[in-house]
Amino acid sequence: EDADRGASADLAVVEERRRLLDEWLAWRSRVEQDVREEREARGLPADPIAGLIKETDESENQVIE
Amino acid sequence: MRPILLQGHERALTQIKYNRDGDIIFSTAKDQHICAWFAHNGERLGTYHGHQGALWTVDVDPTSTLIASGAADNTVRLWDIRSGKCLKVWEFNTAVKRVEFNEDGSQLLAVTEKRMGFLGTIVVVNINLDPEGEQDDEKVLTIECEESKATVAGWSFMNKYIIAGHEDGTVSQYDAKTGEQLDNTQVHEMDAQITDIQWSPDRTYFITASKDKSAKLINAADLEVMKTYVSDTPLNSASITPKKDYVILGGGQAAMDVTTTSARQGKFEARFYHKIFEEEIGRVRGHFGPLNTVAVDPQGKGYASGGEDGYVRVHQFDKGYFDFEYEVERQYRNQSQL
Repeated sequence: EDADRGASADLAVVEERRRLLDEWLAWRSRVEQDVREEREARGLPADPIAGLIKETDESENQVIE
Repeated sequence: MRPILLQGHERALTQIKYNRDGDIIFSTAKDQHICAWFAHNGERLGTYHGHQGALWTVDVDPTSTLIASGAADNTVRLWDIRSGKCLKVWEFNTAVKRVEFNEDGSQLLAVTEKRMGFLGTIVVVNINLDPEGEQDDEKVLTIECEESKATVAGWSFMNKYIIAGHEDGTVSQYDAKTGEQLDNTQVHEMDAQITDIQWSPDRTYFITASKDKSAKLINAADLEVMKTYVSDTPLNSASITPKKDYVILGGGQAAMDVTTTSARQGKFEARFYHKIFEEEIGRVRGHFGPLNTVAVDPQGKGYASGGEDGYVRVHQFDKGYFDFEYEVERQYRNQSQL
């Protein structure tokens, strides 16, 4: 009986974690999509610093040439 | 996790920051200089001298070209990482407690202290990421904190909001362009100071640390508290780990505030919690005093803590750290692989 009680308690804990993980993953995918769309709409690069790093590389290449 | 001990400061640490690649660590302390270290071996890369008071804060721009620092000498200074040269000094009326670059390094915010005759403020300046270029004198935005002074602040995703944590335990959301306050929410216990704010990698949510012994995970868009991490000691710092869903909390009660030795033991530890399940999963000891600052490598390979004891401890995460997962997480991982 004790073992049964322990098992059902464990099951409840696992179910609760599953719920929390589902909830988190759903929120993340929603936010990631929203931000992606908003960046696109504002004409911002997907990676905020993508352009900055590339600029540095180009200027270094120019110096070499 | 055997740590590397960085000995270069003579006073209590105040802030630690990794650069974006995670290979350099910057640290500030009350001893008036900034240190830069190689993260993989703890070798000191350099020091930056010039401030005339305790240093409270440091940040590195996203391209790892410049660092900014704020100090008790009422200045913010901008430094060329490579040459160690001070490129710019901005003067304020009071001490500067926190600086942070925005996501593209085009602007810097500074949180100034409240003092008789001066309200606490959040000030924004423009940044030129070219170390050879001119820096602008002008303070392009000043937010005055009339209700309760800001203790920490940072920039959200898309440089859309400035988020501030206050002395009274509230969090504010400001329009980062106009400075208009859009929201203010009591997220921590009333008058429990917010001691730290650190961002998720995409800056859509952040973690706060508070003297009320808890840390909170908060949505930057609506200031909703999504998670709470309950500790047994006042917290000074909190950080979100990339790669794994953990958060790391640091704090501890100063010796003078504790009556018995036993109460003090075990408090000076970095505490790891599962970010989603809110459960504590481990502790790392080592410091001889409260942890004033914790920072995580943005590449997820390790973390560093800075103590009231004057030491920085750098830890590389080991296999056990990466392998650990809850049964539920394992199931999800297997499902997504199918």
